[in-house]
Amino acid sequence: MSTVTWITARGLFGRRRFLMLLPLPAVLVALAVLCWSLGVAPADWGPPVLVGLGLAVVLPVLALVVGTGVLGAEIDDGTVVHVLTKPLPRWQIVLPKLAVATGVSAATVAVPIFVAGMLADSVRLGGALAAASALGALAYSALFLAMSLLTRRPVLLGLVYVLIWEGLLGRFVSGTRVLSIQQWVIALADRSAPTDLLSTTVSVPVAVVLTALVAIGFTALAVDRLRSFSIAGETS
Amino acid sequence: MPESTGVIHDIGYQRYTGPRLGRRHVFGALYLHGLRTIFGLGRSAKAKIFPWLVVGIVTLVAVIVAAVRSQIGEVLLTYAQFADSMSWLIIFFVAVAAPELVSRDLRSGVLPLYFSRPLPRGDYATAKLLALVTGLWLLLGGPQLVMFLGAAFTTDAGLRGVGDELLDLLPALLYAGLWAVVFASVGLLVASLTGKRAFAAGGIVAVFLMTMPIGGTLAILPSRTVNELAGLVSPSTLVMGVGTWALPDPPGADSGEGLMIGGFGPVYAVAAVLLVAACVTLLLLRYRKVAAR
Repeated sequence: MSTVTWITARGLFGRRRFLMLLPLPAVLVALAVLCWSLGVAPADWGPPVLVGLGLAVVLPVLALVVGTGVLGAEIDDGTVVHVLTKPLPRWQIVLPKLAVATGVSAATVAVPIFVAGMLADSVRLGGALAAASALGALAYSALFLAMSLLTRRPVLLGLVYVLIWEGLLGRFVSGTRVLSIQQWVIALADRSAPTDLLSTTVSVPVAVVLTALVAIGFTALAVDRLRSFSIAGETS
Repeated sequence: MPESTGVIHDIGYQRYTGPRLGRRHVFGALYLHGLRTIFGLGRSAKAKIFPWLVVGIVTLVAVIVAAVRSQIGEVLLTYAQFADSMSWLIIFFVAVAAPELVSRDLRSGVLPLYFSRPLPRGDYATAKLLALVTGLWLLLGGPQLVMFLGAAFTTDAGLRGVGDELLDLLPALLYAGLWAVVFASVGLLVASLTGKRAFAAGGIVAVFLMTMPIGGTLAILPSRTVNELAGLVSPSTLVMGVGTWALPDPPGADSGEGLMIGGFGPVYAVAAVLLVAACVTLLLLRYRKVAAR
């Protein structure tokens, strides 16, 4: 485990405000258990809980806060200088940070969504959802990590993507769904455990290729941006 | 004993003898400054991107709705439905504006400077809250006015048509005010808890976005009472519930997509008032403490 990994993990967990994110997955499990124990038909509660809450809200919001936090917080504080001045290749800074961000958001999302998927249908659906959301966490983390290097306001730009692109446009303009990580996650989960709880218009090969492309492309972009990164004070 | 050689020069320092404007003017200045901050006026171009992006989208939707109505005669969205369908953008706008208003001051530690003026703590919070309420109301009301103008200039019924349209618009403007008050008080409370703008924005979105699916799930539980009260858990469905109860032609009533609130309309109204009151009280309490640091 490299020092950068260690610093990043401590930066995330060492602050009390990270604990404020834990209610998000807890609510997901609580709602799933509540619906299951009251005997509501899974066809009724599956889509709103699994997709509406789990994949559309908990996964992107967690990945957003964690993904922009691993590097963005250090840029905000100015402590990123200490890491940048060490004789480390840039990819050895970006990759550990990406790994921590992915690991944390994948773990905090996969566990509750596994429980919810298991209660909704089967262990197989739970496993498929957990695996797909872990891949989704990788894609989201790479995207948001790159955003924190491209702009000074990564959270707001990330919110534009999550709220306006995936949330608003994805609902009304079906064409934008092809470029939505949320839909790829749904497609991947539906492929490995076919049920009628999940439905998407994106085909599986497209989802696989685009997920890989986003994960690799934005990581490469982040490495490249960090190469010519200039530290400036807070503007505007 | 050596002779003193020091001289005190009169370099022209003077006491301020002009009028002192006092509390009301400080409040007014803070309010106006807050309102300008929300839209990024008087700031760099970067600060204008996100607010004006939202304003642009909302206005565009209103223009499209007005154009479709005048050309084809089909009403895509009524005034109240317009406010409802823009709820995601309102959330985003709050997430942009509220941290700008309060988190920056917390971060840079300027609150002691504010409170060394004749400005009670409550006034600071109230001025910021009023600014955010006004900003949100303008965000919703402006496009509704565009829709009204589009309808008024293409009406066939002459002045009476304009009058009818105006009667449709006025309750919708009040409804937009309700959206503004509820979202501003919740959002500002969350933002005032942290000095980091990024984290404040994330927190605001988490609060609004998390509660929406919870309400959606409660609405399918096998109990009619729970279903009809499910809207209470989320600020946006709470506001829609009040709208369904109070508006003359509630949003989604004809299509059956509206909120099922049964006979609990007054409960929704009371809950909205209580929510706003609780948020404002907590905000004032927060500012009683925060400057002590």
